Amino acid sequence: MSVTFHRPTRLEELFQLLQESPPPETSVIAGGTDLLGALDQGRFRPRHLVSLTGLPLGYLRPSEGELRIGSTLPLREIERWPEIGRWAPHLLDALKDVGSVALRHRATLGGNLVRASPASDLLPPLIAGEARVTLLSSNGRRELSVEDFLKGSWETALHPGEIVEEIRLPGPRAGAFLWQRVKPANDISQVAVAVTRQDPGGPGGPWRLAAGGVEPCPRRLYRTEEVLSEPWPSPRTLEEAVQRAREEVVFRTDRRATEEYRRHLLGVLLERAVRRTLERAGPGTRGEGGIRA
Amino acid sequence: MTPWRARLNGRDVELADVPAEERLLDTVRWRLEARGTKEGCRTGDCGACTMWVGGRSVLSCLVLSRDVEGEEITTIEGFAPTELGQRIQEAFEEAGAVQCGYCTPGFVMALGSLLKEQAGKPLSDEEICRELSGNLCRCTGYFGLLRAARRLFGGEASSPSDLSTFSVAERGG
Amino acid sequence: MRRPDARAKAQGALVYAADLQVRGMLWGAFRTSPHAHAAIRSMDVQPALEVPGVVAVLTARDVREMIPSRPEGEALPLLADQEVTYAGQPVAAVAAEDPAAARAGAEAIRVQWEPRPAFVEIEREFPEWPDSERMRGDPRVVGHVRACRGDFEKACREADVVHSEVYRTSLVAHVALEPHGCLANVRGDDWYVRTTTQTPFGVRDDLADKLHLPASQIRVEGTWVGGGFGGRNEAILEPYALLLSRKTGRPVRIQLSFREEFLWDRTTLPAVFRMDSAVRGGQLTARRTRLLLDTGGSLPGRDFALGYSLGFTLGPYRVPVWELEGYALRTHRPPFGPHRAPLAPQCAFASESHIDSLARRLGEDPTEFRLRHVWREGDETPFGQRVPPFAAEEGLRRARDYIRSRRPNLPPGHGLGIAIGFWSTGTSMGGEARVRLGPEGARIIQGEREIGNGTVVAGLLRVASEALGLPVEALRVDYLDTSQAPFDSGVFGSRTAATLGYAVRKACDAIREELGRRLSPPSGPHPLAARLRWDSGRVLVEDGGDWIPLAKVLRPEEIAAGGLERWGKHYGRPSEEIDPSWVLEGSLSGYSDVVASVHVAEVSVDPQTGAVRPRHYLAIQDAGRVLDPDLYRGQVEGGVVMGLGTALTEEGLIGEDGRWQNPGLLDYRIPTMGEVPPIEIVALQGHTGSGVFGSKGIGEPPIIPVPAAIANAVADATGQRVREIPLTPERVARALGLLGRDGGEARP
Repeated sequence: MSVTFHRPTRLEELFQLLQESPPPETSVIAGGTDLLGALDQGRFRPRHLVSLTGLPLGYLRPSEGELRIGSTLPLREIERWPEIGRWAPHLLDALKDVGSVALRHRATLGGNLVRASPASDLLPPLIAGEARVTLLSSNGRRELSVEDFLKGSWETALHPGEIVEEIRLPGPRAGAFLWQRVKPANDISQVAVAVTRQDPGGPGGPWRLAAGGVEPCPRRLYRTEEVLSEPWPSPRTLEEAVQRAREEVVFRTDRRATEEYRRHLLGVLLERAVRRTLERAGPGTRGEGGIRA
Repeated sequence: MTPWRARLNGRDVELADVPAEERLLDTVRWRLEARGTKEGCRTGDCGACTMWVGGRSVLSCLVLSRDVEGEEITTIEGFAPTELGQRIQEAFEEAGAVQCGYCTPGFVMALGSLLKEQAGKPLSDEEICRELSGNLCRCTGYFGLLRAARRLFGGEASSPSDLSTFSVAERGG
Repeated sequence: MRRPDARAKAQGALVYAADLQVRGMLWGAFRTSPHAHAAIRSMDVQPALEVPGVVAVLTARDVREMIPSRPEGEALPLLADQEVTYAGQPVAAVAAEDPAAARAGAEAIRVQWEPRPAFVEIEREFPEWPDSERMRGDPRVVGHVRACRGDFEKACREADVVHSEVYRTSLVAHVALEPHGCLANVRGDDWYVRTTTQTPFGVRDDLADKLHLPASQIRVEGTWVGGGFGGRNEAILEPYALLLSRKTGRPVRIQLSFREEFLWDRTTLPAVFRMDSAVRGGQLTARRTRLLLDTGGSLPGRDFALGYSLGFTLGPYRVPVWELEGYALRTHRPPFGPHRAPLAPQCAFASESHIDSLARRLGEDPTEFRLRHVWREGDETPFGQRVPPFAAEEGLRRARDYIRSRRPNLPPGHGLGIAIGFWSTGTSMGGEARVRLGPEGARIIQGEREIGNGTVVAGLLRVASEALGLPVEALRVDYLDTSQAPFDSGVFGSRTAATLGYAVRKACDAIREELGRRLSPPSGPHPLAARLRWDSGRVLVEDGGDWIPLAKVLRPEEIAAGGLERWGKHYGRPSEEIDPSWVLEGSLSGYSDVVASVHVAEVSVDPQTGAVRPRHYLAIQDAGRVLDPDLYRGQVEGGVVMGLGTALTEEGLIGEDGRWQNPGLLDYRIPTMGEVPPIEIVALQGHTGSGVFGSKGIGEPPIIPVPAAIANAVADATGQRVREIPLTPERVARALGLLGRDGGEARP
């Protein structure tokens, strides 16, 4: 049974295809760097492969307070946008170590979101960055937070007939993203932590924290955020936050790491990510009782 | 099935049929018979299959040929005779960057793409290592490749320390 | 020198087995066992034959019919039809018009399996050192070695300190970037196969054995090879390709995918080392090693692996009393096979960590302790042999100076670790080559292929250049298949440049002597050997003070044949036998040429995550005589980095079901560019080896001490010793007590 390939150049074409033959009969591909591996392993056998690369979804539109990233823009383009380090340093931290340059010339943010791999390094920064996704179908648009879009491991809120149109990232924000792996490059993270804080140039807004490598999928650490209530946390507060994070999250043991080690790492990375964010903010903006950057 | 058309190394190519799931790596190697690009892991982890689409490096084992129809595809055969290609070969030869040679075409294409993108901007060792982290080598330990890359990026001034020093000493000396 | 193949490789111009294609060829694929241990109740190949594109299927019955003279009852059949003993074992091979059809055909074969219990974890089965009575008659024991000199128990009773530890090592795969592949074409009595191999003659002989054919009917031709590392010495795919070609009358191509390469890899399997040392008055008085070795779904006679490896666990140290015992266990994992310096990095990890740990326990500096015990030239080794020229002591002194200079400036969280490896190179395995000197240069006519280390494509040129007195530009290497080439043992064992190079040198010397005989005696240090020069593309020879074209001295038949040709043969000394009264069971190998590697690693250890990062590496190598600095350097650089993988990240995980869990680069982690520390290499000449021009082999020595040096550095940095490799962050974190509960291991 042979597979048919489609590369629509207009959205109407795409929606028609999806209507005639919805997933899982049809697999929608953006960069394909993740999906094709799964295809090779025989994890699914679609009748149709529909590529989104012909659609006008590869854009980067900064505006006041928000960055809009088209879902099929290659990751490398985001990485090389001169403003990304200022807008979302936590996202840049993650982008730089996703696969390789050649991979990032094809891989996309939209593809990464729809795959919803629990080990994805891009999801924690998007969640901590309070990013939102716009979903598009023949019925129109709807918007969700990335957090709500992710329903679990490999599971999203995407309806059949829908695609991710764009990702909207508020900013600029201060932040950092750290991971721990067995080897530093070309490896999957055991645990990852993204933190952001609003008002990078000012007194500092609330912290937003997200972790990856956790069960069931990357998520916000709300209860830890409650503890980390100071923009310049004292060592004591930070320690409490680390403790709370370790309690808040569920881990599992697999061949990459034990549950125990992951739990330990979460705390270490959280503390380091917070410190790095503060270091980046610079000495001039330190508040009272703040920890040394 | 409709024919498949693209440009390979500056020439128009057409194939009667290319299946939907076929990878660019296989189309190039077996149908277009350009086997300079090597097949490695097929999972996007080793970089041996690196070629260019639209002048940008890609992992051809993870690209559907049908998805790049009409595009400009460059493989090692097309890049090797160019001025930059020859500069890279010279640097590799001089720096001891080649042993078994299986990873070499992938490295050349990755480096070539990077050099064009950086347009003369020097890179530090750390940046070079990060940008080339997707290419694996089992023979050289990377030192020769890094020496060659340093020379090509003109970053030697920014990397004063030696990656690798080699000296021959005499007994009792 | 610049390698002659570098540019072509950088152009993608050279052909590897993975690139082979001929018109009309069929593709082969395998049906393999999903079970680690099972009986085969039935097999029906008819569904495979019905898959469009499938041309033939090969089963054990076909093999019996095709070669009736083939003996029955092999321990490891070519194709299983009664029982399978490891996951991935082939039960059938299919030839088809394209790869997809071949795989579909292989999958279509109907097999009824009856799974049986699988023995996969040696330590779970033998958590304590097994009782010899228990092991006697146990069919899982495929090798047993027991040897001793003196009375170990007595030495322990009289000792001040007895130090006992257990070390564990993992499965390490070759991971050459090019998987195995070949193309076979059988026509009449010409069984021809082109294949990626380090050892064309070895493959030929292995095929003669496996196919029960005369070697003269088998013709093996090599290709450029995408990495060997010891994994390409046997005939792995070739038997099937040849049989399918014979059956179908067409060329047959078999190509493993990268993933399949892991599953088919015959490599280093897990081992458990029990190390004991007795010390009296600060001196080592006795050592004991007890080794449990997983040899997988292997062949009997694996005491070779034991007998070869056990001695390495004593290290290059003087010790009057020793006891060595090892069991090679047949498990339901894939068969064991040689890696780069087979099992030596693991033996050195156990031995050098143990020595280090012992020295610290005694309150002594680890380098000083080693210096007091290390072999010096002329010493008697524990095996009763005389130590030939050996650079370990000098290497240790240089390392000591380095450590002293580095220690005061060592940043917090950093540690320094020293380790010695020693290796016995395969220089007793001989080889032959012909050299033909013509008017425009010389050709080296030989049967090996270039596998990457440069010995064949460049090293032989260097030797010939020196022997003839001509520049490398005047020389070329010819690659012949096994039916035409002079015999050589293979590119392994760090013996190629030293031994085949020696054969090349002898041929060159014979040429110069012959020319010398034909001419008036020249002035110079060798009155009988002619002097040669190369000028504007022509070879000139000195004749009584004048330089004349070589053509003037060649006979007409030589000119017609392309030049004056001479044959060189070199077969090194076999190693001395060990006193048989010391060997109680099995056999123990003596060592022929010994090569030392003395390394110092500097690492930093993240105190919160346990991540180990190499910061600097010093490698002092016992070179004898460096034949070519660039080639030599490349082997040390590559060997050290491969060793870093074994030390820190590489681990093949096989589950209880006997199947590979991480057969891919994502989870079987080999080093990347960013993980490589600055390295300082010192090639220490002068401790002459038996190789050509006094050289010693370098392919394997650099990998051996790496895991030990790293582990010792970690112990130095943290005060905790990790006794298992790889030293992943989690293992180190556990040893540091970061994960609470079981805490770390006490005592560095």
